[in-house]
Order: sequence, then C-alpha cells, then structure tokens
Amino acid sequence: MSEKTKIGLFEYDVKNGLGLIAYNVDEHEHAHIIVDTKKCGDCDSMMCVWGCPAQCYMFRDVGLEEMKFQYEDCVECGTCFLMCTDGALSWNHPRGGFGITYAYG
Amino acid sequence: MSEDVDFDVIIIGCGMAGMACAAQLLKEGVEGDRILVVDRGEPIGAKNLSGGILWGRELDELDDIFPNWEMENPGIERYINHKKIGFLSSEDAFIMEGKFASWDGIGGTEEPSMRTGWSVLRAKTDSWFAEKLEEVGVFIMPGIKIDQLHIDGLDHTSYSARDLTSPAEDSGRGAAQKWRIDNADQEIVNAVREGKICGIVQDGEIMTSNVVVIAEGSNSILTRSYAFDTMLHAQSRHGIILGVKEVIHLGEDVINSRFGCFSGDEERPPSGMAMEAALAIYDDMAEKAWEEYPVTAGQVPRAGGWLYTNRDTLSIGVVIQLDSLPSGIHTYDMLEAYKSHPAIAPLISGGETVEYGAHLVPEYGLDRMPSRLVRDGAVVIGDAAGLVYSNGAVIQGQNYSIHSGKLAAKVIAKCIESGDFSKKSLGQYKKDLDQSYVMRDLRRFKTTAKFLADDANYTWVPKFMGKMFNRVVREIGEEKITVEKQALRLRKEMRRKDKKTKKGMGLLNLIRLGMMGRKL
Repeated sequence: MSEKTKIGLFEYDVKNGLGLIAYNVDEHEHAHIIVDTKKCGDCDSMMCVWGCPAQCYMFRDVGLEEMKFQYEDCVECGTCFLMCTDGALSWNHPRGGFGITYAYG
Repeated sequence: MSEDVDFDVIIIGCGMAGMACAAQLLKEGVEGDRILVVDRGEPIGAKNLSGGILWGRELDELDDIFPNWEMENPGIERYINHKKIGFLSSEDAFIMEGKFASWDGIGGTEEPSMRTGWSVLRAKTDSWFAEKLEEVGVFIMPGIKIDQLHIDGLDHTSYSARDLTSPAEDSGRGAAQKWRIDNADQEIVNAVREGKICGIVQDGEIMTSNVVVIAEGSNSILTRSYAFDTMLHAQSRHGIILGVKEVIHLGEDVINSRFGCFSGDEERPPSGMAMEAALAIYDDMAEKAWEEYPVTAGQVPRAGGWLYTNRDTLSIGVVIQLDSLPSGIHTYDMLEAYKSHPAIAPLISGGETVEYGAHLVPEYGLDRMPSRLVRDGAVVIGDAAGLVYSNGAVIQGQNYSIHSGKLAAKVIAKCIESGDFSKKSLGQYKKDLDQSYVMRDLRRFKTTAKFLADDANYTWVPKFMGKMFNRVVREIGEEKITVEKQALRLRKEMRRKDKKTKKGMGLLNLIRLGMMGRKL
C-alpha cells in the first residue's frame, strides 16, 4: 500500500499562538474560573482538556496524574463550562479591563 | 422624559447588537446623554471576535450615525463578491465557487446589484462604532463588567446573582443550582426571577435606568443569573459551536493576486473571497483518539472550516460542534490540521500568524434561545438571545444581532414616550422579532440543525463528493461511464469499506438525508 496522507497526527504548539495575544492578567484571588480539581480525578472523558482552545487544562493528555489548571491564558470562550460534567468548575468573565485584549478580533 | 433615573436606557455590551440598539435609539429621538453603553472590554472591541463576515445591508439604516461606514470603518476590510462552499476530505477538496458581478454593486447586472457582505475584524469595527456613538453624545464606558442588575425593592447587597447559580458548582447540569434556589430565601429568589429590573450595579454602586438591554453576546451570564434562560438550558453542549480562529498576515498585494481581488478605489473597498467547507479530514485523528480514549469511541468530530480575506490578513478557522468532540482531540489541533490540508496550506503559505482566538457560537437558534427575551424593564438582543442561523451555505449572526438591536430600540423609544416599561409593552419587541426575517428564518429552517448535526456531512458525504468529482473529470485511460452509474458504483465501493459507511449510505438513510437537505 502506498503512503497515505495523514492529517493532523502531530501536536500543535498552541502556546505559540497564545503568545500573540495581549493579556492583562488579574491577580489569583480574582481568577475568573475556579476549578475544584479534587473532583477531576475520576473523570475519564476530560472534556475540558480537549475542548479548551487555550490549553488551560492539562491532565492525563500530557501525562499528569492530577488536573492542572491555569486561568492566565484563557481566551474567555466558555467552552470548559459547557464541557464539565462533574460540577468541578465555576465560570465568570474576568473583571472589567482584565483578561484578553484582541487587536483584530 | 423622566429625570428620576440616571439613564433612559443602559445597554450591556457594545458589539453589533448593542451598538445598533444605541444608534437606533438616537434615530428614534432619544437623547445621547440618556443612553449608557457599558462593555467589559477595554478598549471597546477588545473582547469581540467573529469568524469574519458581516452579511446583509443592516447598517444602511444607521448611516446617519455611522456615515460612510463601508469606507470609513477601519474594521470593514473587504466586500465579498466571491464565494466558495465545499467539502474537504483527507484526499480531496470539492469546492463550488461563484464570482458575482452583481455583488460588486456598481449596476449593470440582471440580478440586484449590491454589495451584501464584508469581511470584518471586530476589535477594529466595534471600536469605530463606539467612537461614532460617543461623538453624538452617547455615554460609552469600556472596561466595565456587570454582575448584577438592580431590581426594584431588592437590596443588591442581600444576594449575589451568582449565588443563585451556585458559584462553586456552576457546571454539572444545573442540579446544584436547583438546590441553591430551593434553599435560598424565596422572596429574594422571586425578586431575582420576576422583579422589575431598573438598572445595573457596578462596584456596589447603582445606576438606574428605565430599560436595561442585555447584549452580552454568546455565553451571557446575566441571562442565566436573571432567569431569562434556564441553567439546564444554558449548560447544554447541544447546538453550541466553538470557533477557533487565526488571523494570518499576508500583505495586501499577495492577497489581491492570490485570490484574484479587486484592489479598491474611492467608492469601494477592495473585494474579497469567503470560503466555507464541511470537513471530513479528521479520520486519522479520530481513530487514534478512539483507541486511546475508548470512553468516546465512535464519536465523529463534526466541524466546518472557513477562510476569509481581509485587507492584508486572512481569517482562517474551524467551527466545532461541541457535543460531537471526542476525548483525545484538542480543538486547536483541529485548526492546525485544517491549516495543513493540501487544499488550504498553499493559500496561507508565506503568511505570519498575528492573532489566535476562540469564541462560542449559539448556532442552533430556536433550540438554544433563552426561554424569554423580555422582563419588566429589560430585553435581551443579539447573540445573548441566541439569534444565529446557518445551513452551511449561509451563516447569519451579526446581521441578526443588528436587526434585533434596531427592533428593540424602536419599541424602547415608544415605551419612553408612554412611560410604560412593563413586560407587556416591551413585549412588543418579541412580537416584532417573531415577525421579522430573523425569526422567520429560524422557524422556516428548523430542520437545518438536525441536518448539520448529522455525521454523514462530516464523514462519507465530503468523501463521496470529492471522489465522485475526481472520477467524472479525470482521464486515466478507463472506460467512460455515466454519472449515474459512477455514483452507484462508488456507493457500492464505499459501503464495502466499513460498517459505519455501509449503514450511513444505506437507502433509508439517504432518503432521510435527502428529505432534510431539501429543506435547507
């Protein structure tokens, strides 16, 4: 059999893309998303990990034993809120003036 | 006019809907200094992102507030006279293409001559709209996020709207929220759900208004918190689409030559191309994912890709139906795979990515719409109201937003005259919306959602289209057969490959698809 074109079987470095966006990151105590990572342990679908377009959620997909979440790179889309089935996360928009600043949009 | 309130109207959100509402209010005779627009982005537009095309001539009516918007607004990039829709599979691209002289809008055509679509970059368009509104006296406050509405007779410090949507346990299908509501003070719950809305609370300070317009966009927290939408509903993945996008800089000349665009003159912006395609390019990714994460094995990611030309950049991205995403596939990898497809890669080659972003699209209007759009003293417009429609060939959202903003403004202006801001009189907005082309579209094409959510369109259909076209037009020394025979032969071949395709291309399934496709 001849060599078949394979599409998408490589990893995209999303953090490169995120590096292009301007953020005004709020302090930790004002984080707009809070994840109760204790609830994540038994989750086998990990939909937040796959859905999040900014790789804010890292877990077994990168070989971690525990869910690791960081809000700093968040693009404020709200996908994780829709994806979580375990009631582990609380979602809000960042405070006014904080978070992502699109220059193009 | 009542001066006992700070503003006649407070609009939350300065996107397409919010700005159109403010502009129409001005046209209806409401004074600029009686209108306040707040937005959480700073500057205005900083949080706003769209795929990139504004369809329809909705802005014409607002021409006196936004003079010569087509030429003056720096975010209106190119007008579209060149449209492609197609199907991509791993091997093939089957793309239909139309270039229309009537879309140039310079007359002399049999079809109505008008420019009807523009590629837009929202951070730029929206800050220009805000600037123009400010010039005519509207108060614009950037960098303000609203968590609480002011409810008549309810002490805003006595509750947090987010408490009633349970802060620690937002997600989880609304069960926790129900518990919270059942156990909260019923008087407060009733006021939050049914009380008269008469302003906003910002940093503990109340700003009062006769009407609050919620134009927060998709993912609106206020519609959830104030019972326009049910929590259960707001949390459904079904019908919600994630758009992941890159803006790639290529330079104006390269875009003009690569896409065959007109370079613009004093009367027209440059012309441009809009392409959308159904994607069946994720087979390999899906198979690998199913193996690693059997929990969602068999789930086909349903996605579409787009490519739009801006003045010196391209907007490229994928829209992913979130209820179809299997474990094991990152959404950003899906964008990257689309960018690397042999039909797409040459179009963006040599370009430099200048921005990455993502946004939710409440695409299946009727199913997703908040259960109510009007309360005493408040209305919901635009994306927050779920006003988006797509059938694959047309995608409407920003024009619906503008239209709903204008309709709401006309009703609000009448209410200001009569001094009656009850649910009943504001309800005229809902009636007008129901009769407008927006809701008529959404109702007429309600089967479209089902059609677009059918796996077939992301598996065998694009493959079939590509292979079919290939075989009909190629010359490799084989005997010619009729198109009909070719189609039957190809179907037979494809059905032999695997069980899923066999079932998918079964006669009953084809009839079912045809019945739905007929109604697009």
